[in-house]
Amino acid sequence: MSTLTIGGSQLDASWFLLLSAVLFILGAAGVLVRRNPLVILICIELMLNAANLALVAFSRQLQNMEGQLFALMSMTVAAAEAVVGLAILVDIFRVRDAEDVDDLSELKG
Amino acid sequence: MAIALFVISAIVAVLGGLGVVVSRQPIRSVLSLVLVMLALSVQFLLLSAQFVFAVQIIVYAGAVMVLFLFVIALIGPARVLAKTRLRFQTWLSALFVLVLLGLMWAMLQGVQYRQPEKADMNFFGTVQSIAVGLFTNYLYPFELTSILLLVAAIGAIYLSRKRIDDL
Repeated sequence: MSTLTIGGSQLDASWFLLLSAVLFILGAAGVLVRRNPLVILICIELMLNAANLALVAFSRQLQNMEGQLFALMSMTVAAAEAVVGLAILVDIFRVRDAEDVDDLSELKG
Repeated sequence: MAIALFVISAIVAVLGGLGVVVSRQPIRSVLSLVLVMLALSVQFLLLSAQFVFAVQIIVYAGAVMVLFLFVIALIGPARVLAKTRLRFQTWLSALFVLVLLGLMWAMLQGVQYRQPEKADMNFFGTVQSIAVGLFTNYLYPFELTSILLLVAAIGAIYLSRKRIDDL
């Protein structure tokens, strides 16, 4: 238990971590359940956001800026990942439809 | 006040996350994710991370999500619509989610918080403190992210170029 005083009220750091865990699990479930490659990319973004929330929460709890710096780095990585993933997706859709990732299994060794 | 803000934005974030996973049209998934990001930006503000809050809204909700919307518009919403349904994998993934939830819960029970470092909270999370960190201790990682962005931009241009045989 670690209480944070925010604007005069007492919040617990574990609340933020629990929210982050729930969002991460939702994202992981989306990657598993959904077959649309675009939606899978969106769910990966959701998981990255949840991880960012945990980083910022720990940064606030420790009163150390490094967590926020790392959250910024992970945002950069997420942006790069989205750009490359979407470019690949557009390239695939130029040739044919791919509403299911199972349709894209020719590349496996 | 802060508790009410936390609870409201947490509920909005979880509902948005459910919307991302459940909605059949990808465009609704994207808009739900924008909702999640706005709710998370409120959380960042509660955690006194003003700069991360601004970057979350400008870069994530503003740029990355608009990129997703652009791609859906480019491909055509009808072509990205999911037509097939999952078979047995749904049950397996439900099991996986339950196991993961239990694991995360157990981890949260065992978190050992370190003693806070008693930083100056007036200075915490401001642009100035972020910049001091980025340009002193973390200069090399910061420069490496610029190389990463350059590589991603070149890769995106290479992948989406017009090919000779398309002409």
